[in-house]
Amino acid sequence: MSVSLRTHLLLFLVSLSSRMGFSRYIQDVGESEEYGFRRPLRCLDMLSIEGHFTFVAAQPQLACAAFIISDPDEVVVLELNDVNIDCSSGDFIKMFDGWVLKGEKFPSAVDHPLPVHERYTDFCSSTAPRTSSRSSQNVAMIFFSIHSPGNGFTLTVRKLHNPFPCNIMSQTPEGSFTVVIPHERKNCSFSIIYPVELRVTQLSLGQAKNNDLSPQAEVRSGCSASGDFVELLGGNGVDTSKMVPIADLCFSHSGLSHVRIGCDNSVVRLVSSGNYVNRVSFQYRLLENNELPTRRENSLDNFCTVE
Amino acid sequence: HLITLNEQNVHLNMAVSTTSIRAPSVTPGPQTLPLQKLFLQLASSASLSSTSAAVNRGWLQLTQQHLRAQEEEDGEKEKRSDDLPISLDLTFHLLREVLEMARAEQVSQQVENNRKMMDNFGK
Repeated sequence: MSVSLRTHLLLFLVSLSSRMGFSRYIQDVGESEEYGFRRPLRCLDMLSIEGHFTFVAAQPQLACAAFIISDPDEVVVLELNDVNIDCSSGDFIKMFDGWVLKGEKFPSAVDHPLPVHERYTDFCSSTAPRTSSRSSQNVAMIFFSIHSPGNGFTLTVRKLHNPFPCNIMSQTPEGSFTVVIPHERKNCSFSIIYPVELRVTQLSLGQAKNNDLSPQAEVRSGCSASGDFVELLGGNGVDTSKMVPIADLCFSHSGLSHVRIGCDNSVVRLVSSGNYVNRVSFQYRLLENNELPTRRENSLDNFCTVE
Repeated sequence: HLITLNEQNVHLNMAVSTTSIRAPSVTPGPQTLPLQKLFLQLASSASLSSTSAAVNRGWLQLTQQHLRAQEEEDGEKEKRSDDLPISLDLTFHLLREVLEMARAEQVSQQVENNRKMMDNFGK
């Protein structure tokens, strides 16, 4: 056997063994198999990757939930497989189109295309078991309760491209995005569950002649009369309809290049009449503790700070 | 380093329902089954290059130590709450923690995928 052949064979064997070792390493935490990523699902979990997540109750687990989030231009498809639960004894698995936190829903009932009761998919439905759900935006949730140890299910998460994202929950405290509503009468919210500094960089609404910001134009106070405008919202919940409007942008803006929103949730909401192609671009970054706006005197106690 | 959080009153508001959920015009207060001594243990993964193992070690370990439920009251609540929406009481702080852990897992998975891709290229 020639030296070069032996060298190649040795390198091949080394790569094999290192790969095997690494595979054992991966097996402890999650496996990338031929059919996708796989790991156990926890009673409280957040999933941001595609794969198969299996929950098996080691003891009665009566109050569990998993959040699912994808990129802004994606929607999530949830599928239930190998379901082994007892609906008659109170077990349930419910998938929700959006996120629910402390009774508040994102997207809000006003902004979501479906009525609330249609956003829940109940596996234990009195009719045929419903095992699949596709979200309308980049977030979804699953609630589950299992009484008997050993029972469980597998949740498969897939992502699909969404060419016109509307109602987005940001995965990160900083970034940039453009919300476009092309000739549709609807409202789209971009939610950032962090206190941020927000900069609106481009705004195209209604009959704007161009996309450039006009520094000479005045800010109209209160844009509610206009069917097309942008709202900047701040609040301490996820329901945008319960948040406090910080600013409205109707046509162009001057003197409002950026705003600091010291709230748990900062939202850019584009309201569209359907008559035009509306677009808003913005950037945001996390506010550090020493950058948070200070609370002014006589301010509302339960309203977060803005400047 | 290890971050330990004690969440005393994390609630899962539940509606035990096998029927369709009515869309309320005014959202009623969700029924609450409080979880006592919900203990969350997080380890921050400072280095994303430390691979999936660090993410797993640092992942949420949810220990549900005690669930208070009154069976008779549950039965009555079950009837009343058939159509109540389900919710989870979680602070924004905890939500951000789990979100950041999920991002770390995503990055780790991407690193793994890149490694496999490079391995295939090297063959």
